[in-house]
Amino acid sequence: MNRYLVAAAAAVALMIVAAAFIFLFAPTDALQGPVQRIFYLHVSSAIAAFVSFAVVVVGSVAYLWRESIVGDRVARSGALVGVVFTTVTLVMGMMWAKPIWGTFWTWDARLTSTLVLWIIYAGYLLVRRLAAPGRQAARFAAVVGIFGFVDVPVVYFSVTWWRTVHPGPVIATDALPPEMLFTFLFTMACTLVLAAVMIAIRYRIEALTDALPVGMAVRTPPPASLREPTSPQVGRIS
Amino acid sequence: MRSIAIALTVARKDLLSEWRSRELVPALAQFVVLALVIANFGFQIDSRSAPAIAPGVLWLALVFAGLVAFGRAFAAEKEQASLEQVILTSAPAAAIFAGKALAAAALLVLCEAVLLPALSLFFGTPLSIALAAAVFLATIGMAALGCLFAAMVAQLRAREVMLPLLTLPLWIPFIVAGGQAVQVMMGGGGSYGQALWLLIDFDILFVVLTSLAARFVLDE
Amino acid sequence: MSAILAAGITHWFGSEPALEGIDLVVERGDHVAVLGDNGAGKTTLLRILSTAMQPSAGGLEIMGLDARRERSRLRARIGYLSHAPGLYPALTAAENLAFFCNLRGVDRARVPETLELMGLTPVARRRAGELSRGLQQRLAIARATIHDPLLLILDEPDASLDADAPELLARVMQKRTVVFATHDQALATRLGHRTVQLRKGHVMGAGSRLHVVH
Repeated sequence: MNRYLVAAAAAVALMIVAAAFIFLFAPTDALQGPVQRIFYLHVSSAIAAFVSFAVVVVGSVAYLWRESIVGDRVARSGALVGVVFTTVTLVMGMMWAKPIWGTFWTWDARLTSTLVLWIIYAGYLLVRRLAAPGRQAARFAAVVGIFGFVDVPVVYFSVTWWRTVHPGPVIATDALPPEMLFTFLFTMACTLVLAAVMIAIRYRIEALTDALPVGMAVRTPPPASLREPTSPQVGRIS
Repeated sequence: MRSIAIALTVARKDLLSEWRSRELVPALAQFVVLALVIANFGFQIDSRSAPAIAPGVLWLALVFAGLVAFGRAFAAEKEQASLEQVILTSAPAAAIFAGKALAAAALLVLCEAVLLPALSLFFGTPLSIALAAAVFLATIGMAALGCLFAAMVAQLRAREVMLPLLTLPLWIPFIVAGGQAVQVMMGGGGSYGQALWLLIDFDILFVVLTSLAARFVLDE
Repeated sequence: MSAILAAGITHWFGSEPALEGIDLVVERGDHVAVLGDNGAGKTTLLRILSTAMQPSAGGLEIMGLDARRERSRLRARIGYLSHAPGLYPALTAAENLAFFCNLRGVDRARVPETLELMGLTPVARRRAGELSRGLQQRLAIARATIHDPLLLILDEPDASLDADAPELLARVMQKRTVVFATHDQALATRLGHRTVQLRKGHVMGAGSRLHVVH
């Protein structure tokens, strides 16, 4: 069996185990009731999204600095996976918000910045599509990817600088009982594994489509024998 | 330094072109005044609500005017053809970019010189140096970002919709901090000083980043 | 040292091939005419040779420098006339040239001489946007030569020019290495030492023993 299939199966299996923990092991929240269980996947998705976008930045920098095609492919893959996880985060957040806050959405700092993050990386994917395929698309998207990542500190910073409705950093302040903390950390780990597998699979897809001659920088350095053209028949005649 | 000289040459050329053709600034000025008039009909504005609504109206007008102004810096077909010639002079891309951003920012500032008094006139909100300073500082960062993405978008298809899509998310920190500063100066609560420092920090961050990114966007 | 050494220049726009495996050697002082129909790849090739664009694949060495790594240094010695004149319509002819002098760090005193050389002195103070297409073309050529480049890349330099075009262009090309594209076969043989025929991105035809001299 192909190793990507194995990895995918393993990642999904891990998520199922995590789900088991979420529903069977973690205690029910006293205040919010069962709906609080969304928290595990919601926050894990958010973290997976941020990590994916960090991967985009690393790939983008590698491309801009070294013209690394691998870097560009990694960035492309990370962006797609990151947008998926951001979508999950937003949707789960809305599902959680309705019963707890009474509304699907508020324009508080954290929600707004997460939505903006989604828009930015959707923009990344659009720029890739609209630019000239190959080098221009890679270059422009890399710039968008790096600038967009600046939004991430704004998300974190916003919780402190602005008054906000969104619950404060619960993890760091030890407000979670140990079972919940464990469940969260485990779910987060499983989600990160899932994200990594998704990025790897996407990378493989990109690598295969790149191999078709679609104008991606197939950069050959000036051949050593540049002094003399190779033969009298120079240039192919169709 | 040669880079500074080049930036100034480019800025002067852009401003001279605008002065001779007088296309952009009058249009922008009319646009912002029109925006204020429409805001009056769209929002329930009276002397009590004015300090709460006016900052929003200000930034809305400024954002749209900015998109037009920065988009224009790179959009024209001829502009693209001549930009290529400018790049081929081996002038540093960051300097070229800085010159264009400088000129576009200057034009937007001219427009703000109309917008702020008009706002004060129509909505009765106080006008002060502090208010102008906040708007001016925000303009710097917005110009850097707006021009970078305008340069990018000019080379893409579907450019009209891409410029706001790419630029507005990155302008949000400026609108937040600037909006806060403006709100304070119009009588709302909060810290002006803090907002101003934030604006300065964002300015420095984005001016540096856009200067570094310029060569990837303008040149291959 | 050859002026231009190109090996395997290939370029795709998306999945459309524009140039395939072009090899080219241009010696110093050569005037090479690139002929071909629209869509043959002339403009693409010229843009690559002028360093305005990088090819999808292939190696290029200009005046002994690698065209990818030494672009800054090369661009100071190359003059490029593109399809579209790309002048600033609101600026006068003289101001257009002065601007590019400033950018290149070249003495602005060259502006009047260059205008004179190109027969543009009468319109020096006219805005570029008001000039006829022919005069704009001359101005664009003036801009391409004002920094005294060693290598000139001209894309259809004769376009819009009137009957004295060959003399004008011959003067401009003197003592320089030139690669120029044209539709005009007669002009090509008159001004060029040899020709390169392009069709659909390939080098074709009898005149294509590319390192033949004259």
